Amino acid sequence: MAPSLSQWLRPFQRHAHADAQGGVVIKPRSIYILPTRQGLLLALVILLMLVGSINYGSNLGHLATFFLGGLWLISILHTWRNLLGLRLQPYRVASVFAGDTAEFQVMVENPSQIPRYAIQIRHRKEQGERLDIPGSDQMMFTLPLATRRRGPFPLPRITLQSTYPLGLFRAWTYADMPLECLVYPKPAERGQPPITTAYQPSDQGDRGVGTDDFIGLRPFRSGDSIRHIDWKAYARQQGLMCKQFGGDRHLEVRLDWDLIAEQEAERRLSLLCRYVLQQEELGQAYSLTIPGVHIASGTGQSHMQRCLTALARHGLDHETA
Amino acid sequence: MKLPELSLSPIQHRALSLIAVLTILPHGLHFSPQINLYLMLLMIWHLAGLRWHRFRPGRWSLVIATLGGIALVFSEYHTLIGHRAGVALLTVMFLLKVLEVRRRRDLTVTLYIAYFVVVTHFLFGQSIVLAIYLFALMIAATALLLESQRVTVSRHPADPLYRTLVMSLQAVPLALILFVVFPRISHPLWHIGMNSSAMTGMSDRVRPGMISELVASEEVAFRVRFDDTPPAPEQRYWRGLVIWDSDGETWYNRTGSPFWKQDNDAGIAQVHYEIFLEAHQHPWLYSLDLPLNSPPQAILTGDRQLLTRRPVNQPLNYRLVSSTEQRDRRISTSMRTRALALPDNITQRQRDLVEQWKQTSGTDRDLVQQVLNHFHDQPFVYTLTPPLYPDNPIDEFLFEGREGFCEHYATAFTQLMRLAGIPSRLILGYQGAEYNDLGDYFIIRQSDAHAWSEVWLAEQGWVRIDPTAAVAPERIRYSILTDETPPGSPVSFHIDRSGFIGRSLIQITHLLDNANVQWRRWVVGYSREHQFSLMRQFGFQRLTHLEWGIMIAGLIGVIMLVVALNLIRQGKNRPSQVMQSYERFCHNLARVGILRKPGEGPLDYARRASRARPDLSAPISRITSGYIQLRYGPDPKPELLENLQRDVRAFRPGRTRHRV
Repeated sequence: MAPSLSQWLRPFQRHAHADAQGGVVIKPRSIYILPTRQGLLLALVILLMLVGSINYGSNLGHLATFFLGGLWLISILHTWRNLLGLRLQPYRVASVFAGDTAEFQVMVENPSQIPRYAIQIRHRKEQGERLDIPGSDQMMFTLPLATRRRGPFPLPRITLQSTYPLGLFRAWTYADMPLECLVYPKPAERGQPPITTAYQPSDQGDRGVGTDDFIGLRPFRSGDSIRHIDWKAYARQQGLMCKQFGGDRHLEVRLDWDLIAEQEAERRLSLLCRYVLQQEELGQAYSLTIPGVHIASGTGQSHMQRCLTALARHGLDHETA
Repeated sequence: MKLPELSLSPIQHRALSLIAVLTILPHGLHFSPQINLYLMLLMIWHLAGLRWHRFRPGRWSLVIATLGGIALVFSEYHTLIGHRAGVALLTVMFLLKVLEVRRRRDLTVTLYIAYFVVVTHFLFGQSIVLAIYLFALMIAATALLLESQRVTVSRHPADPLYRTLVMSLQAVPLALILFVVFPRISHPLWHIGMNSSAMTGMSDRVRPGMISELVASEEVAFRVRFDDTPPAPEQRYWRGLVIWDSDGETWYNRTGSPFWKQDNDAGIAQVHYEIFLEAHQHPWLYSLDLPLNSPPQAILTGDRQLLTRRPVNQPLNYRLVSSTEQRDRRISTSMRTRALALPDNITQRQRDLVEQWKQTSGTDRDLVQQVLNHFHDQPFVYTLTPPLYPDNPIDEFLFEGREGFCEHYATAFTQLMRLAGIPSRLILGYQGAEYNDLGDYFIIRQSDAHAWSEVWLAEQGWVRIDPTAAVAPERIRYSILTDETPPGSPVSFHIDRSGFIGRSLIQITHLLDNANVQWRRWVVGYSREHQFSLMRQFGFQRLTHLEWGIMIAGLIGVIMLVVALNLIRQGKNRPSQVMQSYERFCHNLARVGILRKPGEGPLDYARRASRARPDLSAPISRITSGYIQLRYGPDPKPELLENLQRDVRAFRPGRTRHRV
């Protein structure tokens, strides 16, 4: 695809680079400013007033016209000042699955005593909300960006903009900041992982999953065997409960790249991602093996994140490492 | 409080309604009652819609209201163009737009139309009061625009007004510079509907009774500033129109004025002065007696009138040179014929009277004196409320009523002169002037309107004769006090200027009038000529268009730069001493690897720092608590700041570690 003009011009845009803490301070000369559509409309109205004043030889008409013209010009400076000196600090972004919206959070600090109004962060067509920042204060801005592919998704060059005070001009500045969203593969549809289970002795005795001893009830989930439903509890109007059984061994599911009956790599990652989520839902331990990475069996939030991260980064590590 | 992105808050709606009413209000004075009623109904509809949502206008009702408005304006003016119909249409459309406002985007466009409506007011009036009112209105509209641009709502309604005032004050120098240097064009670009409105003032015809109607008006006709000594009061005749022809009842000019080159004016006493003329809707200017030159707006005719190409419908300033002694000697045959022409209602008793004077006087000069003596000796009364002379005004005035105002005396005198074979003409203008010592200028009011004669005497040329002076000499020294003249009574000429209140009133009147004059002179009447003379004072002789452009751009650039620097200075991060100390503390910690995370509170930071450097926990907690007290505590003591600054100075995490 041939680069569009704006892409081609990108290296020439004045933009602020991040400092050691990843923050960006907006300097006077990095602010662009152009009239908005409303600004052009008012300019047209002022021009009409001027023509009328000249035609009728009205000096006060001239004065009023020039006053509005003066306000129009002065508002350039105020719009510019509204962005000047603000400091952007990348804050955080939660990992999402491909296709979901990543919410990049950027803290904008206003170190001056003067409040700043109607500040907005955007990237191309995607806009965050507009916020006012009181003097010597800071506000968290969220920029929702749609993700498409798995892998690290760095915050693109963002635009910080404002049309305050009169909406006649739009001042904006470009900022590059080191903030990266890790996009997990898009989970595939639900399905049974290939059965590669192994029973291993559990260190904790009965806490594993088995069929030997009844260990308690948990709410029914779709997919649970009907035979395990505690019908007596249902009769007591406790809802559908599922009997859980534990054994002295626990079940380990091995999620292995090579065992997926798909050829396409992304499809394999999608399926593995879904299985990781499913196993986590079931609370069953699982291990993950993909080319170059093996994650030993486990369960829980951090284990899941390790697995998902490995899936997200698969094949892309040479870029980020 | 945060607003949904697009809607207006109730207070913004109310502010818009108020601004709309105030914007339209002055136009109510010259709209017809039907249009005023329509505007009022629209406003009521709008307010009802704000109060009860079911009254909100829908799309179709607005279309119908718009069409109705257009039809109404058309039926009133029979056109939609021209400044009167156009302004009426614009005002109706503006109010309809106000009705339509729901979202902030609508508000913006509506306020732009409000700006436009504000400017149209200046077509109908240019007084200081109106200007202050309208500029205040523009600032209020801008404040609403500004308020609608922010996300949160201002805590106080004065807040957006204050911000707008600051911006306005920065815009004022730009506006003034542009006002002064922007090139003025003397003639309109095109001419739509500037037909003269109903006027109070002179007319180009003199009927008996016309001037006495005028005299009741205290309106200012023009003001005069003399460069040197003003002429004596009895010389203050302000010539306007020269009238040659009469049909026995009305005096007017059947044909145009004669044109020829003037006699050489060299060597006579000249008076230099400047006149600030109010719009009077007639194509002539006024001058002190005989003008010797003409301002660029007018031409000087053979009978020394200053005629303009178009009626004077804007206040006008011009400089003139006049003489009170120069007499034109030249008289052409056609001029003489015109100056001797008589209407056909001359009676025998007029002829007899003139014949009797002719026999007893040797020269024309003597005859003139005889007529004046006649007015003086016979029981002629000078009154503001003369009787009607319906059939033959001059004859009835001379022989029956003998009560008249200046136009009666002047027309009768002119006609008698013609009967006697002396060429004569009627002059219409003003006589007298009220001095304003605060502004060092004279005010000539409509009540100073006057008519007199000029006769051509063989030895002297044209000579001014004021027959009214023969009746009541005081008339030419003082203005008349119109308020205290009951109908039918002889005019009281004595103005009581003694007494503190009387004097103060005059002082106040003069002060206000002076402000008005400066306003007229520098703002309303600012012209191409002013502009050029101002440029000359700054040493710019003749500038090309390019040079004008560069000058305007340069001046605007300089002002913008000054404002920009000022804004940067204000916006500079000038943290308080407290902040400075605390930032130094953070900086010192950062140097040893304990960075303050964005959004991390000072307490959290202190906890983390103490954990990382237990050796420093005492100073860290001391500095942090000092900082919190100073920054957030109520009414911190000054010694707290000193302690904080001392602690921070002593806080050297890098060095301490080496020592430990």
